[in-house]
Amino acid sequence: MGTVEWLKHWLFTTDHKQVGLLYFFTSLYFGIVGAVLALLMRVQLSVPNNNFLEAAYYNQAVTMHGLIMIFWFLSPLGIALFNYFVPLQIGAKDLAFPRLNALTYWLFLAGGLMAVFSFFVPGGSAAAGWTSYEPLAGPLYSPGPGPTLTYLGLMLMAASVTVGSVNFVATIFWLRKPGLKLMDMPMFTWFALFTILAMLFAFPSIIAAFLLVLTDRLIGTVLYAPPSVLGVPGIDPSLLWDDLFWFFGHPEVYIVLLPAFGVIANVTPAFTGRPLAGKSWILWSTAAIVLPISFGVWMHHMFLTGIPSILQEVFDASTEVISIPFGIIVIMFVLSMVKGRIQFKTPFLFVVGALVLFTIGGVMGVFLSSPVLDRVFNGSYFVVSHFHYVMVGATIFGLFAGIYYWLPKMTGKMYSEKLGKLHFAVSFIGFNVLYAPMMLLSDMPRRIFTYQNIGDWAQLNGIATIGAFIFAGAQMIVAYNLLHTWFRGAPAGPNPWGSPDLEWSSPAGSPQAPAPELEPVGGWIGQLSPAPPAAQAAAPPAAASYPAAGHALHLSSRPLTLSAGVMLFLTGAALYPGLFPLALMAVGVAIAAYSLVAWAWDDIRDRFKGPAEEADGNRWPFDAVPKMKVGMWAFLSSEIVLFGTLLGAYIFIREAALSWPSPSSIHDIPLATANTLVLVSSGFTMAMAVHAIRKGDQRGLLAWLAATFVLGSTFIGVKMSEWVGLISGPTPFIPGSANPVTALAASVYYVIVGLHGAHVIAGLIILVYLMARTARGGYTKESHMTIENFALYWAFVEIVWCFVFPLFYLL
Amino acid sequence: MLTAVVAEVITFYSVASPDAQIAVISTLATSQAVAVAVFYMQLKDEPGSIRLFALVGVMFLAALLIAMVASLG
Repeated sequence: MGTVEWLKHWLFTTDHKQVGLLYFFTSLYFGIVGAVLALLMRVQLSVPNNNFLEAAYYNQAVTMHGLIMIFWFLSPLGIALFNYFVPLQIGAKDLAFPRLNALTYWLFLAGGLMAVFSFFVPGGSAAAGWTSYEPLAGPLYSPGPGPTLTYLGLMLMAASVTVGSVNFVATIFWLRKPGLKLMDMPMFTWFALFTILAMLFAFPSIIAAFLLVLTDRLIGTVLYAPPSVLGVPGIDPSLLWDDLFWFFGHPEVYIVLLPAFGVIANVTPAFTGRPLAGKSWILWSTAAIVLPISFGVWMHHMFLTGIPSILQEVFDASTEVISIPFGIIVIMFVLSMVKGRIQFKTPFLFVVGALVLFTIGGVMGVFLSSPVLDRVFNGSYFVVSHFHYVMVGATIFGLFAGIYYWLPKMTGKMYSEKLGKLHFAVSFIGFNVLYAPMMLLSDMPRRIFTYQNIGDWAQLNGIATIGAFIFAGAQMIVAYNLLHTWFRGAPAGPNPWGSPDLEWSSPAGSPQAPAPELEPVGGWIGQLSPAPPAAQAAAPPAAASYPAAGHALHLSSRPLTLSAGVMLFLTGAALYPGLFPLALMAVGVAIAAYSLVAWAWDDIRDRFKGPAEEADGNRWPFDAVPKMKVGMWAFLSSEIVLFGTLLGAYIFIREAALSWPSPSSIHDIPLATANTLVLVSSGFTMAMAVHAIRKGDQRGLLAWLAATFVLGSTFIGVKMSEWVGLISGPTPFIPGSANPVTALAASVYYVIVGLHGAHVIAGLIILVYLMARTARGGYTKESHMTIENFALYWAFVEIVWCFVFPLFYLL
Repeated sequence: MLTAVVAEVITFYSVASPDAQIAVISTLATSQAVAVAVFYMQLKDEPGSIRLFALVGVMFLAALLIAMVASLG
């Protein structure tokens, strides 16, 4: 295979193993970027009164270090392992929606590139901390395109996570091999499911929070404007941000951590020679953590914001409660080791390291659950030490255990045990030399770029900096070990650990092989070889135009081009105004539009086929529910949280404001009522469309879809004319209004009603596709799941309006 | 559905008390949403696992909204 074909293959792949490897290497790249930023910070703090980094650069480094490490390194490294191993562990040939899987990767990469690129625009990157507290991160205190670019990149990352979560939910529930019951799934897959569910419900909150930030930055709304600027009595935008951010932020800790726990649960039995102790205890405890406790502790991050004491007590209690299931999990892991015949191989050493570091960090966290102690520790390096022990130590050590454990599976080669143990030892020492001194720096503020020579701050910071370099240096060992293994490692054999898990039954060292049963089709990245003749013969002419290996059917350029188009558009939007940004936006829209149309066209022409599914796979508890419907409901549950969060923000603002304009003084109520009736009627016509195709009436389907399209278009048309009237009326209802109350009311109105309108417009575009496909006889009585799914989406849009209309037009 | 929308607007014009307006209109809006979910989205015919998806989202949302408003004091 030539270089161009090789490159095309990797750019267009949708195979889960290859996407997993792309995630793996990309997250390592971002990890290096984040680590370099960390080292810069540590050098700056190594001695008092240092001027190695100016304050502005230090702030950028600390902010981007946090964002990149959390969103583009730690979490995606877990997702890389999910991609590679979850389908193998459940006997699936790929994820439920392979192209969407590729799309999640490219969106993730596009978002990360935007974030990194933000360093190079005038004013530099975001510098308000990874928590992006408002109004500090708003346009007043953080002007310039850099923060906008970073936050838009974050939105892409969040979109990627949402799409990916839907995909994994459908995969785990729907593509299990025959006979594999839910409770019998390998532990890593279980923890993948827990992580994905937490993502599904947590990320909408951060999307909502950053949507409000970005509208402030891009179109001049004033949702987070500081009270002194806005002048609306009673409003405290910082509290709104805290709620939205930390409702996501605390579950995010577990989203980052749980993949590592999954590895620990999966890996431990292989090195203790006995089954995992208390498997069901571990599962139920994790279930309790993810759903619901992790979503009920976020306000312990807000003890210093002045929230009522009763709330502080409630969240103090809930935070302490969450330590119980974590305690059970750790005890079960330790019990699994007791009485076992332990082999101190590298993966197991990293397991032990992860548990030790997690326990240290977890105990520190219990102190922070107390509102009293939190007042002392919250702004200090004690907190930095705490969350690095939990999020970084436990997570990275756990994931390293997984990388070493599965490296023979991914490469077919065995790593150097000696180097692996050396990597562990140096990492463990380096990590503790880095973060243990910070425990003792509980009197040093954590958000300063330099410090005076007070007490033992200089010594402790000096030691921490030495630890940072030891920890970073240790990663050179693993880099060498990985490369050496892949290119010169000794053959590992099919199942070097003697694991009973299903992933070891497929051929090792063949990331190109899409299915466990298939023959391996080559070695590693550089050795793509042609597919077996039978597989080539099965490829249809259109897809066979890709000169690829064993899964020509698996290639699609659409995810890549769509992500590239979106990235160009958003980059242009961040850099606007100017001719160049405008050109970027235009090119981006053109590429994205082309990609979407081409994607739909591929579907209409049946040019892309995922791997075949097991007809009799185990699908409990969704036996009677089609795969696409499982995915759609997962997506809608995420949308419920997104719109609910935004409507919650509106209610918060209304509650906080001492005055608010009367709806009838702004809106034409009869017109809005008539328009609501139009949208409600479209829900009925869409329901009739489903009814028609269930009877096999294709003409009826086309007619009802057309009626829905007309009603939906009417709704949007009226809405647009309404907006024109509001903006150009005698007293403009705009975010830039001189009246601060009007400005705030207009801001929240345009963002939420606008987002609903965007959903309606997206629905209209899909309706055009559905009508085109219906006209070609694409749906039948037996096969019309896309229609059913769209009906769900359209009904959801109607449900949202059921709340938007009274909240904005009547109350 | 259409009747509920009209009832909301009638309430808006005819009920003077803001608290009563909020109570009646919120009830009507929630009823519409539930009706759409149950009939158009056919939750009535779906297995419990699908209903759970919707309910979990609503449950988290309720926790967020209650605590958000409570955080105002």
